[in-house]
Amino acid sequence: MTILNVKNLSVASVARNATFPVLTDLTFSIEPGKVLGLVGESGAGKSMIGRTVSQFLPNGFKVIGGSMEFAGKDLLNMPAAERLELLGREIAFIPQEPLSALNPVLTVGQQMKEHLTRIGIPAGKGWRTWAMEEFEAVHLPHGAALLDKYPHQLSGGMCQRILIAMAFASKPRLLIADEPTTALDVTIQARIVKLISEMQRRDGTAVIFITHDLRLASQISDEIMVLYAGRPAERGPAKEVFSTPSHPYTRCLQLANPSMSGPRRGLFILPERMPGLKALNELKGCRFASRCPNVIDTCRLKEPPLETVGQNHIAACFRTEATSGIVPPPPVPMPQPVLGVNRLETSNITKSYTVGWNLLGGKTMFKAVNDVSFALAQNEFVAVVGESGSGKSSLARLIVGLDTPTSGKIELMGKDVSRNTEADKRHRREFVQMVFQDPQSALNPRRRIATIVTQALEAIGKLSGEKDRLERARELLAEIGLPPEAASRFPSQLSGGQKQRVNIARALCAVPQILVADEIVSGLDVSVQAQLLDLLLKLRQQRQFSMVFISHDLSVVRYLCDRVLVMYRGEVVESGPTEEVFASPKHAYTKTLLSAVPPDDVSAEWTPASVEQLSKVG
Amino acid sequence: MTRLPNWLKSGRVQIGLVIILVLVICAIFAPYLAPNDPNEQNLISILLPPAWADGGDPMFPLGTDSLGRCVLSRLIFGARVALTVAFVASIGAMVIGAIFAHIAGYFGGFVDWLIGRIVEVWLSFPPVILSLILMVGLGTGLRNVILAIVLVDWTRFCRVLRSEVLVIRRKDYISAAQLIGFSNWRTITREILPGTLPLLITLMSLEMGVAVIVEAILSFVGMSVGSEIPAWGQMIADARLNIYDAPWGLICPILAIFFAVFGFNILGDGLRRTLDTRLSETERA
Repeated sequence: MTILNVKNLSVASVARNATFPVLTDLTFSIEPGKVLGLVGESGAGKSMIGRTVSQFLPNGFKVIGGSMEFAGKDLLNMPAAERLELLGREIAFIPQEPLSALNPVLTVGQQMKEHLTRIGIPAGKGWRTWAMEEFEAVHLPHGAALLDKYPHQLSGGMCQRILIAMAFASKPRLLIADEPTTALDVTIQARIVKLISEMQRRDGTAVIFITHDLRLASQISDEIMVLYAGRPAERGPAKEVFSTPSHPYTRCLQLANPSMSGPRRGLFILPERMPGLKALNELKGCRFASRCPNVIDTCRLKEPPLETVGQNHIAACFRTEATSGIVPPPPVPMPQPVLGVNRLETSNITKSYTVGWNLLGGKTMFKAVNDVSFALAQNEFVAVVGESGSGKSSLARLIVGLDTPTSGKIELMGKDVSRNTEADKRHRREFVQMVFQDPQSALNPRRRIATIVTQALEAIGKLSGEKDRLERARELLAEIGLPPEAASRFPSQLSGGQKQRVNIARALCAVPQILVADEIVSGLDVSVQAQLLDLLLKLRQQRQFSMVFISHDLSVVRYLCDRVLVMYRGEVVESGPTEEVFASPKHAYTKTLLSAVPPDDVSAEWTPASVEQLSKVG
Repeated sequence: MTRLPNWLKSGRVQIGLVIILVLVICAIFAPYLAPNDPNEQNLISILLPPAWADGGDPMFPLGTDSLGRCVLSRLIFGARVALTVAFVASIGAMVIGAIFAHIAGYFGGFVDWLIGRIVEVWLSFPPVILSLILMVGLGTGLRNVILAIVLVDWTRFCRVLRSEVLVIRRKDYISAAQLIGFSNWRTITREILPGTLPLLITLMSLEMGVAVIVEAILSFVGMSVGSEIPAWGQMIADARLNIYDAPWGLICPILAIFFAVFGFNILGDGLRRTLDTRLSETERA
């Protein structure tokens, strides 16, 4: 018996005088105990499916056709009260942001009790034991103490486990997990994913697992559906879709992601962007046609139907046989660093914060960065990896001078700048620039792009009027691959990837010798990420700068960087050439990090190690 | 390029602007609009009702007060005092408040602590009492009314703006500007101020309404302009004695104050809805 049966479902955004399709003609079903992975870039409509099941569509969105049946009952047309009965009891959700899904002013226990009461467990004395059993199942130790804690006292991973425990408490028949690990660290991501599949096997729950990570989806799903612009591009058995994709989009997505094993391969660059909602109405042919490497004239004239390409495997493409012919371009060469010419040298730098005092005048210190020494050669890219709280960003702030080290020495182009005096700051300005993580926060929403990218020239008074400024801005934009029209736009008019390019352009405007980049490709779609990575390599070739590249994504680091520093609790626990460290990690923490990445080969067993094991080792 | 800016499309902003525009026209062209000299006493016709009521005189469209002065003319001339105070005092309070708010929010640390404590001490005085005390100290007169309002109300701007500055201060683009070598002054004026400006404008239009009321209170107790200049608060005070015989003398200035404050407030509310970046699209409607 199928649990969820969706037929020809269409959802649209209804504006005053037009409807824009968000989901088009979606058909899928899911059996008990199976996992369906929904994969696609942002804007593909993945989250809309979850929202349609729960009928929590945002304002202005409507189901305009098709049916959706849950265990034989019509979900779309049932009375609201009946649907509410199902939600949380038979259909459970795991949200993307665990911290914002829990009420910050109630204890975990109060929220658990409320949830248990709702699903029909009496609020008597029994609920505590029940809750504790549930916590045990999701491997949360000290359940009793946990019940009296507030969400902010717990880590993101713990909150997500609590939410998983809540979701599974009612033994639901369907679970919708919407990017449940995106907001978490890699090391935790692996365990949360494992946990979900463990719980799902225990209760025989059907799971819809929404993610942008094809590799992750193929590891935990039985079946995968790849969405493109609201329409399924391909659906089939997970391993098959991943190892022999039939739709060019699936193949391109896979190739846009840097590999973790084998020789360094080039990234497939998907041109342009997914058509927006408004463009879809005018589009006659295949939605992927404008970006497809295998496009023929037929593709632009009519939309390809979903056709069977294998057992239980369908794809919407006229030329599925040509898909395997798509090969990545040769990798953009990695320029050789000029070893021996050190641009930046840090010796034993430490940054500590006072987190408390006692009556005797003793201080409790927290060392965000502890005794870190490394050197950065000319034209060398060094990666700093580690989970959140490991001190990566603190190290970046010390290098660029946003913070001053408590002790230790930072030498920049041979000059000691560790005291961060006015003269040091001037010296820094000439040689170091930073690219910030969140383009949303890093670009002033009220200034035009031309003004933003030429800030450095404004600061040193090297601009002779608006015309000169516009010209300089256009030159910079051309260099980072943005059209000259972008100069007169505001940041809100650009896409996430474009904003990040502007962010890079602003840093490059000052012609720095060293760039410090803090997680600049996380939070971007794979296709955009691939474009940015190749852009960075191209700029490296042209401008000969060095970079400190902070990231949690090891495959990106492998593609881009010569050397890697692994940070754990403020200390560098391992460092060396990227290939060497990744091939034979020495420190237990490096091993944990590496094992948390889903393998490229789907048939390989994925056994992420846990950090708890690590603390036993160390 | 002829498209209306977003904030001008809001109905609230339009209503507010129309009301304020009417008041401004009254104030500027008062000598031409007023039917009589506002200070001319006509002791034969005192406490006349409005022209349309029984015993009304078309010479005095809204009647006369206890000294036989034309109520309409006094209302029109009274707009001059009210608007001068509203504009000058709120701009003054805004400038002082904004400067301290930006300094406190941007530099933080001890400066922030000091300014924060000063504002708190200041706020612990009841505003009307504080302005009365100031008036006693400074003496009456239009300039001193404005000064009193500025000195009392700058704290309001400072408090609210400081928290906005703090939010923007933590954005990465401020760090980026500093790394690129912008001076503090340039960072504040080029990067922070454009972000706080919408809130500043909104607060200012609300402050104008407050200033109108404070001026009315001060002139009601005779602490504002001299008796030779007509002011709405004064008219209320004068008409209070004859409240049962000639209620219109009281009602007219009250309505004038009401409309002025309503105009400033609805303008402020409309601006807040359209300019505040923290509100989502649906809340704006």
